[in-house]
Formats: sequence, C-alpha cells, structure tokens
Amino acid sequence: MGTFLTRHRGMVPYLLLAPGLLWLAAFYVYPAFQMFISSFWSGTLETGFRFSLENWRTYPAALERYGEQFGRSILYALAATILTFLIAYPLAYTIAFRGGRAKNLLLFLVVAPFFTSFLLRTFAWKIILGDDGVVLGPLKDLGLLDPGFRLLATPIAVVSGITYNFLPFMTLPIYVSLEKIDRRLVEAAQDLYAGPWRPGGTIVGAVVGGGLFGLLGAIFAFDVLLMVGLGATAGAVVGTGFLSESFARVTFPLSLPGVFAGTLLVMIPALGDYVNAALLGNPSTTMIGNVIQTRFLVNADYPTASALSFILMAAILVVVTVYARLLGTENASAVRGI
Amino acid sequence: MHEIISRRRFLAGTGLAGFGAFLAACGSPGTGSPSPSAEASPSAAPSAPASAEPTPAPSLSSVLNFANWPLYIDTDENDPTKHKTLEDFKAEYGVTVNYAEVVNDNNEFFGTIRAPLEAGQDTGWDIIVLTQWMAARLVRLGWLEKLDHSHMTNFPANLEDAYRGADFDPNNDYHAIWQAGMTGLGYDSAVTGELTSVDALWDEKWKGRVTYLSEMRDAVTFALGRLGYKNSTVTREQFDEAIAELKKAVDAGIVRAFTGNEYAEDLVSGNVVLAMAWSGDIIQKQLERETLRFSIPDEGGNLWYDCMLIPKGAKNKYTAEVFIDFVYRPEIAAQIEAWVNYICPVKGAQEAIKAIDEELATNELIFPTEATYSKVSAFKSLTEEEERYFDDQFATLIGA
Amino acid sequence: MAREAAVTELAGPRLGWLDRFARVFDRYLLLIYTGFAVLYLMLPIFVIALFSVNDPIGRSNVAWRAFTLKYWLDPFGVPGLFDAVATSLKIAFASTVVATALGTLIALALVRYQFRGAGATNLLIFIPMATPEIVMGASLLTMFVAIGRPPFFPLNELTILIAHIMFNISYVVVTVRARLVGFDRHLEEAAMDLGANEWATFWRVTFPLILPGIIAAALLAFSLSIDDFVITNFTAGRTVTFPMYIWGAARIGIPVQVNVIGTLIFLVAVGFVALSVVLGRRRA
Repeated sequence: MGTFLTRHRGMVPYLLLAPGLLWLAAFYVYPAFQMFISSFWSGTLETGFRFSLENWRTYPAALERYGEQFGRSILYALAATILTFLIAYPLAYTIAFRGGRAKNLLLFLVVAPFFTSFLLRTFAWKIILGDDGVVLGPLKDLGLLDPGFRLLATPIAVVSGITYNFLPFMTLPIYVSLEKIDRRLVEAAQDLYAGPWRPGGTIVGAVVGGGLFGLLGAIFAFDVLLMVGLGATAGAVVGTGFLSESFARVTFPLSLPGVFAGTLLVMIPALGDYVNAALLGNPSTTMIGNVIQTRFLVNADYPTASALSFILMAAILVVVTVYARLLGTENASAVRGI
Repeated sequence: MHEIISRRRFLAGTGLAGFGAFLAACGSPGTGSPSPSAEASPSAAPSAPASAEPTPAPSLSSVLNFANWPLYIDTDENDPTKHKTLEDFKAEYGVTVNYAEVVNDNNEFFGTIRAPLEAGQDTGWDIIVLTQWMAARLVRLGWLEKLDHSHMTNFPANLEDAYRGADFDPNNDYHAIWQAGMTGLGYDSAVTGELTSVDALWDEKWKGRVTYLSEMRDAVTFALGRLGYKNSTVTREQFDEAIAELKKAVDAGIVRAFTGNEYAEDLVSGNVVLAMAWSGDIIQKQLERETLRFSIPDEGGNLWYDCMLIPKGAKNKYTAEVFIDFVYRPEIAAQIEAWVNYICPVKGAQEAIKAIDEELATNELIFPTEATYSKVSAFKSLTEEEERYFDDQFATLIGA
Repeated sequence: MAREAAVTELAGPRLGWLDRFARVFDRYLLLIYTGFAVLYLMLPIFVIALFSVNDPIGRSNVAWRAFTLKYWLDPFGVPGLFDAVATSLKIAFASTVVATALGTLIALALVRYQFRGAGATNLLIFIPMATPEIVMGASLLTMFVAIGRPPFFPLNELTILIAHIMFNISYVVVTVRARLVGFDRHLEEAAMDLGANEWATFWRVTFPLILPGIIAAALLAFSLSIDDFVITNFTAGRTVTFPMYIWGAARIGIPVQVNVIGTLIFLVAVGFVALSVVLGRRRA
C-alpha cells in the first residue's frame, strides 16, 4: 500500500474522501434532490402533486409569508451562539490547561448529560424554572420579582433551551484546538510579552463585552444601553484580570479554528431548530423550523416546506461562506505565520 | 387518540405525515391520484379490485392484524404483553390477534398506509384505529371496507345513541367507535374557583397562565361557543370569526402557549391554572393535585372519538367484523374500559363494569350523563378544501 | 489566559492592586466560573436522578412525593423499554464508529491535501447540517420506500443506522478538522526521515496527535445519535428507539423507569471514563 500511495500521491485525498462522500452522495444528495424537485410541485394531498418550473413562485411567496420566523430564527441562533461561546470558552480553557489527568473525565462530564433524552432534560428544566419553582418561587416570596413574572414560554426560555442543548458543540471543538497548543509556544510568548496587557486587555474586554451584551439586549428587547453598559463593565473587569498579552496574541488566535468550528456547529443546527421553541416558547416565538414542521406534517404542504428548507439552506451557506472568508482564511494564515 | 395528535404535531414531527403522498408524487409527479369528489359515494371509489369480496360463505381466518395506539387496551398488570380481551377472543374463536401499538399520530399513520391504498394493495392491517376526522378523510377517499352488518349482532345495536349518525358516515357503514373523549376546561379550582363558561379562557385575570390546545378542532370549538356558534354546523365565516376571537387572546398575552398534552404537567406543577383539556387526562392528574377540575363549558365542548376501521383490501375482513362485534359486547367493552378510562361508546357497559369496579360506573367522565352529552358535539366533517383552509388559518394563528 | 497571567507573579515583589486583582482572578475566579458552568450542565441530570427515586401517585412525575428505590430495583419494569434502550445503544455505538472513521478520513483529506473539488467537498459537508431534520427525514424515507416494496418497507435498525451515519459525518469532519488545522507536519517528516513508512507514520505519529479530536468527535456523534428523534422516527419502521419510546410515553406520563435509565446511562458512562483514568494513572 505504501508504495502504491507513494507512486500515486495525487490519488491519496480522493481515496480518503471516497467512502464518506459516497455515503453522503447516496444518502444525502439523492434525497435532497428529490426534496428540491418537490419544492416545484403544486397540488394537494388528495388531487396529487404536479411538477412545474412555474412553481418557482412558491419561493418568494414562502419567504414573504414567513419572513418574521426567518428573522427570529437568525436572532435566536445568534444569541444562543454568543451565549454558548461565553460559557464554553472558559470551560474548555480550564479543562485544557488546568484539567491535569482528569482532563478526559472532565471533558466527558461535559458531554454525558447529552446522552440522556432531550425530553427528560427539558422536563427537568421546566421543573427547575417553573413559575413557582425552586428558583422563581423564593424570589417571588421575597418580593424581588413580580408574581406574574415567568421564564417559561418566553423568548429567554427558547434561547436558553437552545444554548443548553448545543453547549457541547461549542465546548468540544474549542477544547480540541486549545489542547493541541504547544506549551512551549505559550511560554515563549510569555517571555516575549511578559506581564499583563494594559490597557489593551481592558479595552478589548470592554468592547467585546459591550458588543455581545448589547446584541443580546437587542434580541431580547431589553434596554440596549443598559446591556451595553453592563457588558462593557463586566468585559473590562474580565479583560483586566484575564487578558494577558500572550493570551491575546498567541493562545486565542491558535484556538480560532476551534471557535470557528464551534460557532458553526451551534449556529447551523440552531437555525433549523424547532423543538425548543415548541416546548419552551409561546405563539410569538416560533422559528422557521416550526413552520417547516407544521407545513409538512399538518398542512401536507410539501412544496412550501421544501422551499423553506432550501431557502434556509441557501441562507446558511451564504453565512458560512462569508464567515469562513472573514475568519477562516485569516485564522489559517495566523496559524501558519507562527 | 386525541392528545397525541396535537402533542405530536407540535413536538415531534413525528411524522410520516402523508409521506406516502410525498412518495407517490415523487415517483410519478403528474399522475396523482384519481380524485374522487368529496360527495362521491365511497363504495364507488376507484380502487375497485379489492372491493370484490368473495362472501358466499365467510370463514374465520387464523390471524387478525390490529394496529392501535399505545396503552389503549386492557393490559395484564404483571405481563404487559398480555391483553385479556384478545385472549378471550382467541379462546372463543381460535383467532390469534397480532396486536401492534404502532399508531402514534393520525397523519403519520395515514402516511404509512396511503401508498398501498392508492395502489389498490393490501396495507397489511385488518383493523386500524384512527380519529374521526381521519376516518372521514378515508371515507371521502373511498379507502375503507364497508362493514357488513349482517355479520354482526352487537354492532351497531349497542352503540350509544349520542354517537349515531356521524355526518361522514350516517349509517355506521365504515366506522365503529373504539373510545371517545371530550374537550372541556381543566382548571385549578383553588385558584380559579368553579368555571362553567368558555369566557374564562379569555379572562385577563389569568393572563399568561392559560394554555390552549394546538389541535385545531378543539381550540376552534371554544371560540365558536363564545360567539354562540356550534362546531357541528360551523361555516367558513363563523370559522374566520372564531380565529379572530382566538387571536385576540393571543395578542393580549392571555395565551401562554398552544400545547399538546404537556398542558397536563403544567396544571400539576401550577404553571398553568386554566387549560383547554381532555377529559381522560384530568382524572389522572387529580391524584396529584386534588384541586384540579374538569368541566364542559355551558357554551359546549368538543366530542371526539377514535374509530375501528377496515382498510380497503384487508385480507381478513370477515374476521375483523367478528372482532368488532365482539368488542361491542357490554362485558368485553367494560373490561377494556376499566383499564383505559376514556369514554365508553357501548350500551350496557356501564352495568357490566359494576362487576369490575363499582366506582367506575358512576364516574361521569367515563359514562357521561345525558346532560353532559347534551353539551358536547362532534366537529363537523370538513371537505378537503375546508380542511386545508382551516388548518392553514390555524397554523398562522399559532405562529407557524 | 489564566496560566499566562500567573507568570506575572515573577515580575517583581511589588505588586500593584491590579496585579493582585489579576492573581485572584486567575487563581479562583476562573475555577469558580468553570464550577458554575459544570453545575449548570449537571443541574438537569441531578433533577432527572432525583425524580428517579420519586414515588408519584399518578402517571406524571413532575412533583416530588416520597422517596423510593422500587424503580431502581426494577428498571425495565415497563414493556418495551429494555429493547428500546438496547436498540439505541447499539445504533449509537455503530453509527459513532463508522461516522467517526469516515469523517476523520475526510478531515484528513481536506486539511492535508490540495486537490480539485475541495470547495465542493466543503459544501457537501456543511449542507447536511443546514438541512431541517423533518424534510431530510422525509426525503430519506421516500428513498428507502422507493427501494423497498409496500406494504412492509424494509425499514429497521439498518435504515436508522444508515441515516445516523449520514448526519454524523459532518459533525465529525468539522470537529476533527479543528484539531488538524495548524498541525505540525515536521513530526511526520521526522518520522519518515527515520525510516517509517506512511502507514507506520500515521499510526505512530499522526493518529496519537489527532486522537483528542477524534475522541471529541466521537462523543458528539454518540450524543447526536442516541438523542435523535425526528430522522429516526422517519426511518425506523417498526423499530422503537429510546427517544421514540420516551416521546410516545410522554403522552400519558413518562414512567419513572425512564428517569432511572437516563441516570444509569449517565452514571455508567462517567464511571467507565473515571475507571479508565484511574487505570491509566496506575499504569503510569
């Protein structure tokens, strides 16, 4: 085998790709193509469906009718991606750099909750966050919260549900890219950029914190200025305390492939998610996934469901491409540069 | 049964809903199915070959293939694979019932049987249990075998009067009711007091602590009642008004969510104090929160039922008819009812059940009184076009 | 971040308040934050475990009543649960192994080689993650049905497995690639210089280096497979998996035994890894 491969070097990537791509071609591409065809159908369940290219109109019609749900999906997925990042990065960092021998155990502990059923986890959260549950009940008794206040059946609940359920998809890739960083590189950087990073860390912290919180504030319709202020303050504190120059210049850039992978693994499926909105939301928190679900199952409106799916997929591809251009190539070159 | 439909609709997407259609149209776009008009007599359906039943001297088969919903028949407490009713049937007739709990959702199950039915083939099932509106669709499509009443003595004789004369099948030629249920108000009487009017569902007092059902026919029935209309005679204009009425409650933030049967857990945990509810659920939940109550609002509630149906081309039609007749014996119906606890549509079962459990016989939610029956009515059978319009408008209301 | 900041201690004996602050931050706050994050992750598991020793009166298990161990003593006391769990574990293991292998190969090809069609390959990796489950499940079913013959489609564990491998591949590729990017090829070259052939180089040098990435990818794949409901439901035929069992049971009220099994899966998995850590330490 060795000699064959040495002789035909150009063949190697194709041999590596072949089994996986053939699998995808057989069991993804073909069904997806049929789905595409069905988006050009017209008709009903009982009269049968007819294919016609003239039915391209289904696309703009669907986009117009469900624009609101599309927008909401993007906002919720964005919010969940930011939140998972804020939770997962420190977590992955601690496991990678402070985990010691328990590294694998800790890592596993992070994923193991997701081996139980989604429904069980969600019911557990509903018990914890119930209107008069262990968290809100005492706060209401103390008069800190309005008796009518609730977390369940709100946008916050939906985004929190997505955040929780996609957390490992952010944590694992970040961990993987942090763990591979050569410690000697970090040490060398520490020699080079000895000392804390001021005021750089404070500024970066404040800007990033203010930006992310402001965005969350805008999404949840909180007071944006207040959120920006809060985020900037928290960011400044964290930035001052945490951000060493060597982290900013070496460790973080080296972990970017993980951040890139993590954001994609959270953002993409979150855009099409529907179970969280169905179980934790209310009539004004439905996402595009819920629409596709309903059109397909209840209304037997296969053309619209398929068209919406393709619009969603196209939008995601555009986002991914732009994102890869912005971050991907840059981070690749940064990595090569070191 | 009822609850699943909407829970599934929302949650899971359980379904294979109409995938058969998807498939059929995929394979041959353009051919479609020969569309029988809604009024066409079902017996004149296009898929004729199977309807030529050779019936000079019908004889029992050795097996009967029965598709039902999970936990919907009497079950041995010690051995969950044993069902006394089925064993009794075998003891008497020597027929082994292949009982499969494969129906989780009307749409989904419809999907799995549509392709063979359209092709005029046997679905593999002799009896299937589906909710009335799906039964109506199958009748409309001409995809059911006609029950030969001459083979039966207990059915339809023992069918409760309240269930006779369904508009989609007035003479019970195609459907035999397995179980029924009612949709009414479920509430925590400790918080709300006693409730008897649908207006409570629009009351700002419980804003954010009220859930509506995501099942179109249930939710719309309440709104129709509030407007003074009946679900059994709903017109398109009345339906539009009802949707507008529901939308008012949604916009005012009164409606916490449209749910499937998760509402029951929310009632128990206290998150919700008032819900559109199914009768069977509340009996169970009262064990956990004693102050929970169920009432049929004065303006009317929705009556729904699941039907035993024989799909076109079924191999063992005669045996299926014998089985249906068997289930309509009062003592057998009581045996099933004592375990299932929905509403029994069989006359005489109330007497028969006393031998099993005296209390059940007086439970109004299992054996409703005339007064209760007079308050509920079944939703009108919709034409294909109406059904599509109603489902579409309702989907928009619930945000999808 | 923390580790680098620690070095500031060496800067000199005179520490400003900012440096003290940084030190406190580094020593404790990062750990506290991580502690909270882990707590957040574990909280639902704790509730699931708590309600596995609950003794509800009716069929819904959402309010605490009384302590009992009876469901732990009879974890499979409800019909169908054992088969469902066994089926799910089987499919999860098999799909994880196959998808991880196939995905790792693709990741290797994408990162290590320049070749024509890399763009198209990337596209093919991302699109399945972007496809709504319901439509993907339905399309897949359409295809399986077209291959089989009604009334009984050959839908079984095999069709579920095929589908799970399909949707897992993308997640594996993206995760392993995060590990491969920036991989130091000098190590491999050194090994080759020392006379190792490509095969030996891969297994002795490359594989151990990317192993953490492969493990992470396998964990993700496993959790995706064992928890999938929508696509499974479309491709299952008469097979019932653990999530399908739970969604079905939720209609009436999830039996306490499901909490027991959920807790067990968690405990067994963690225990297994803890054991391997301990054994590894002893060997070292």
